[in-house]
Amino acid sequence: MSNSATLKAALGGWPPAVLDPAGPYAEPITRLAWALLLGGTAVLLIVLAALAVALWGKPALRKRLGGDRTIWIGGVVFPGVVLTALLVWGLWLTGSLQATAARAGEMRVRVTGEMWWWRVTYLGERGETVIRDANELHVPVGQPVLLELESADVLHSFWVPRLAGKMDMIPGRRNLLRIRAEQPGTYGGQCAEYCGGAHALMGFVVVAHTPESFARWRAERLAPPPPVSGRGPELFLASGCAGCHAIRGTPANGTAGPDLTHVGARRSLGAGILPNNRGTLAGWIADSQTIKPGNRMPNYKQFSPDDLNALAAYMESLK
Amino acid sequence: MRSETGFDPDLYQRFPTQEERPAEEEEELRRIWCAPHGWEYLTVVNNNYVGIFYLGTAFLFFLLAGVLALLMRVQLAAPLMEVLPQATYNQVFTMHGTVMMFLFAVPMVEAAGVLLLPQMLAARDLPFPRLSAYAFWAYAVGGLAFFASLFVGLAPDGGWFMYPPYTSKAYSPGINADFWLLGIGFIEISAIAGAIEIIVGVLRTRAPGMSLDKMPIFAWAMLVFAVMIIIAFPSVILATLLLEIERAFNWPFFDAARGGDPVLWQHLFWFFGHPEVYIIFLPAAGMMSMIVPTVAKAELVGYRLIVLAMIATGFISFGVWAHHMFTVGLPPMTTGFFSAASMAVSLPAGIQVFSWIATLAIGRPRFNAPGLFVLGSIVIFVTGGLTGVMVALVPFDWQAHDTYFIVAHLHYVLIGGMVFPLFAAMYYWIPMVSSRAMSERLAKWVFGLMFTGMNVAFMPMHLAGLMGMPRRVYTYLPGSGWDMLNLISTVGAFLFAFGVLLFLIDLARNFRMAPGGGNAGNVYGAGSLEWLPTELYSTRSIPVVKSREPLWDDPKISDNVEQGRYFLPRSATGLRETIVTSPLLAEPQYVQIMPGPSVWPLVAAIFTAFFFLALTVQAYMFGLASGVITVMAMLRWLSETDRPIAQDEVDIGAGIMVPTYMTGPRSHGWWAMVILMIVMAMISAMAMFGLAFLWSNQPTFWTPPALLGEGAPIALGYGLVVAAAVSSRWLHRIGNNWAVAPVLLAGLAAPLLTWLDIRMWSAVLAPDASGQGAAVFAILSLQGTVAAIGILFAAYLGWRALRGLITPTRNSTLDLACLFIGYCGAQGLVGTIFTRAVGA
Amino acid sequence: MGARILLTAVLLLAACDKPEIAPNATGGEAAARGKTAAERLGCGACHAMSGIWPQGTTGPSLERFAQRGMIAGRYPNRPDNLAAFLRNSSGTAMPTVTMTAAQADDIAAFLHEQ
Repeated sequence: MSNSATLKAALGGWPPAVLDPAGPYAEPITRLAWALLLGGTAVLLIVLAALAVALWGKPALRKRLGGDRTIWIGGVVFPGVVLTALLVWGLWLTGSLQATAARAGEMRVRVTGEMWWWRVTYLGERGETVIRDANELHVPVGQPVLLELESADVLHSFWVPRLAGKMDMIPGRRNLLRIRAEQPGTYGGQCAEYCGGAHALMGFVVVAHTPESFARWRAERLAPPPPVSGRGPELFLASGCAGCHAIRGTPANGTAGPDLTHVGARRSLGAGILPNNRGTLAGWIADSQTIKPGNRMPNYKQFSPDDLNALAAYMESLK
Repeated sequence: MRSETGFDPDLYQRFPTQEERPAEEEEELRRIWCAPHGWEYLTVVNNNYVGIFYLGTAFLFFLLAGVLALLMRVQLAAPLMEVLPQATYNQVFTMHGTVMMFLFAVPMVEAAGVLLLPQMLAARDLPFPRLSAYAFWAYAVGGLAFFASLFVGLAPDGGWFMYPPYTSKAYSPGINADFWLLGIGFIEISAIAGAIEIIVGVLRTRAPGMSLDKMPIFAWAMLVFAVMIIIAFPSVILATLLLEIERAFNWPFFDAARGGDPVLWQHLFWFFGHPEVYIIFLPAAGMMSMIVPTVAKAELVGYRLIVLAMIATGFISFGVWAHHMFTVGLPPMTTGFFSAASMAVSLPAGIQVFSWIATLAIGRPRFNAPGLFVLGSIVIFVTGGLTGVMVALVPFDWQAHDTYFIVAHLHYVLIGGMVFPLFAAMYYWIPMVSSRAMSERLAKWVFGLMFTGMNVAFMPMHLAGLMGMPRRVYTYLPGSGWDMLNLISTVGAFLFAFGVLLFLIDLARNFRMAPGGGNAGNVYGAGSLEWLPTELYSTRSIPVVKSREPLWDDPKISDNVEQGRYFLPRSATGLRETIVTSPLLAEPQYVQIMPGPSVWPLVAAIFTAFFFLALTVQAYMFGLASGVITVMAMLRWLSETDRPIAQDEVDIGAGIMVPTYMTGPRSHGWWAMVILMIVMAMISAMAMFGLAFLWSNQPTFWTPPALLGEGAPIALGYGLVVAAAVSSRWLHRIGNNWAVAPVLLAGLAAPLLTWLDIRMWSAVLAPDASGQGAAVFAILSLQGTVAAIGILFAAYLGWRALRGLITPTRNSTLDLACLFIGYCGAQGLVGTIFTRAVGA
Repeated sequence: MGARILLTAVLLLAACDKPEIAPNATGGEAAARGKTAAERLGCGACHAMSGIWPQGTTGPSLERFAQRGMIAGRYPNRPDNLAAFLRNSSGTAMPTVTMTAAQADDIAAFLHEQ
């Protein structure tokens, strides 16, 4: 279990994510990418060499370069052959990576892009909602997971480069993307379609579990939540938080904002931008607008120190 | 073919003529084409001036948008900087892209055409000088007002491509998005006007004997450029109209919840957006093809291949737009097609690059200022082209799309394919319009800084994109590994900027405007006609062209031209003139009388700008007034056209007589009207595409359309409108006194038909209730707009008829009115049937 | 007499200097570690500090914190008190955030370099 009290940028680092695939829906793209990068560099060097010869080469060489033949070979024949081969590869790869409809028994998760967070809904066999979460996706290793990508407001794009290419989230449409992580670990992602405002601060994380770990996670999520009492839960219901947020096992069932039933266990707050501890929870509640300007949660500056502490402690306890 | 129009090519043997020309001829030319003083600079229409104003304004926008880029780079130099807060950054990056693409790139190459084409073709001016003045002033006033929105916090923030739903009223409630939409309106008008000008200019005002295959490559490039504008711009014109209507009147074109579709915008925008980048690239490539031979001191290798390549580029570029939409969820067959086309379009570009390399190889290239920038351009553009081929492959694009990899790619192709050729062109052609050339010594520094800076700035972005950095982000988290790359990019950006600054210093020290004579001369030893000795009236006489590089092949040509030994060494009518020639072989057909300075284009342009700006800030009364004044200014301007000339025929040199007036399909006015009709037809076609698209993508929202049978009378009515327009022309030809009547009645009837159609549809659909309703009523609104202009046209025609200005031989206005009103009927006919057919 | 005046002058001048607070014994490296820890623990969510994001406004700004006399108005501002406070801030609005003793010491060093 990683330390969610501190935060490291989930997306980025070395090696480059696009060249460091972690699953079969990214790995073939990486191979193509390497071919393109190396091939492209080679072609650039050839063109530079031709240019160098044209400028400084021996007169005999320059004369040979100076005819229609150069144009036909360099501009038509060579590209024609190479590009056709690449195109065939690309078309075949597109077909094989294109997400087909859900297979029987396949794990399905609906991810809905919102301004500026991710609503994650784990679906059951009949498409019914089983688990509600936000900003993270938990999957078992070695198994394909079908993502149903939608949008609640404007255009967004789901992109976790080590696992797959990106797919847009468009209101009125449902796009499918299949991912599969081969190793346990955390795979970062970020919104890749400008959605105004805090688009730059809309991060995401896919957590791939070993089968036992995943079973445990799932059991934790499905288990009935323990009853709660105390100042924190009272304040939550009394201050209007339930208007937007839901906590299973309490009367709070708002859907405008992220589900908070297990917020204490999340790897970050604010969609990947803050570490998750009592301090940052308090800071977010009190003044999220300074941290993520324009985000849909208003500031709650009215709490007394004890109340704010109680709320933050309550959130932290929701693991 | 020996002759295209029946003109005897042996007549060219009479030139150069031998007798001495009277001194008064040149005096008269100077008087007729006199220079402006003081306020007259505002009413000038001569392309020598308008071209320089245009280029200067476009370059100013380049600098302004460049400053915005520097601001962005400072903000991104380190993680979580607070130089530009989130909202400001979003406005700045939107304006950077919008200003660069719409206010700099297209106007710049258009301006180069305005300035250079008449000189290269040895014409005295462009065919519609007042139109280019109007286009320039509308662009300048409108563009500056649009840029100023940044200073009052009203700049748009939806990206240069302004995707809904973010840019719909719900998520962009302020007028920022409206500023963009209406601001782009000026550029659209400017571009269309310029395109009409250039097509007619390149095809109809070349020097006699300059057949198509002797035309300078730049002229070919501008021809393809202009045709592409005609086909591509209507798509963005329609898209911006639809989004503005959606915002203002709540017609849900792009609202999925009511049967619209955000993807419709993407199709409409990118159908324009992709040809747009070739619209920007091809003229620059044309300039490269002019400069490379001069730098290499060798004739261009593969002229015909290059011409074919440019035409192929233009053509194929219309089939690649959806490569901007590979992640939208299109079916594999669709993405596959666009992937193939996107790869194919790189071949013609490669042909041009290798032609330049071959030309350099057979010549003796010099590393002078234009030469350096030409080399830099080839290196940078090829790099960008290679990454373009990479992202043309769908799976790779699924990773690279919307990341800094694309930012790197687009800047490599645009800076390599347009900015570097532009700087080469500025060093190359400034001696033509300035009494002093630029500094070769400083140019080496400018080049070094710009080339190094560009690569330092943009090469790291490829890696940043592969490391996961998305586009359009105002900041990024520490620990992502993007820090160092961004810092390097920022340093590179400032290096590049210093290069530009040095260029500006050089410009300030050396550029002294010399639109007529007294320029620095043919500094680089080029062979094309723009380097003939010129004054404000262009060349003293218009030469007969026998080869592609006339100055190289005929060393005496400059002197002969100056002595008036070719066509039109004088003004035959006492007015401004140029020769109109046939499109293929450039045989002289008639003399076009051209206008002198006029205040009406300026007035119309300013009030056009006010009209759009007033609508943006919702000052509707002021907008209405401005619109009325604009229309009145345009009518006043039109009333100066098509006036009788004393002489029917004049001697244009060596006893060759041509008419001073032309009517029918050979007149340049007819050509302009036909091109305008193509623009309107494309807008209409795009609207119909929108309706069909919504039907195929949102079938659940579809209700049965109005009945085809009930619409038949309206369709028939439109058919009668077409018939009336045709018959008016025929009646006029046979000398009937009532010839004007049918087209007048048709012009008045067309709006009535539209009104009836609207009433019929209102019973079935509401425009704000569904995407289908919105699309149908959009088609009806377009028809209404065309019909309203038709009324104006009919009224104007009637006024001219009453004033006796329509005679058996002078009937251009009647022709054009018949064309327009006939088009109105045809568009109505198609629209009436189509709207009832889709989803029936 | 002159010497006494001189001595008085020197003593008076010396009295013009503010008495120095005991210098931070832990040095620059700890401050650098502390900055990293402050970033990773998200202290910026409530406090503004130079070089840290975000610049939260829920709690007081910690810029030039070294010059402050008190911590949260309760404890004398010394690095050891500060480290202890970070590990147990009960009684104030600041929630106690779990951290190791080393982290607390480092952050205290960092804040005293503000």
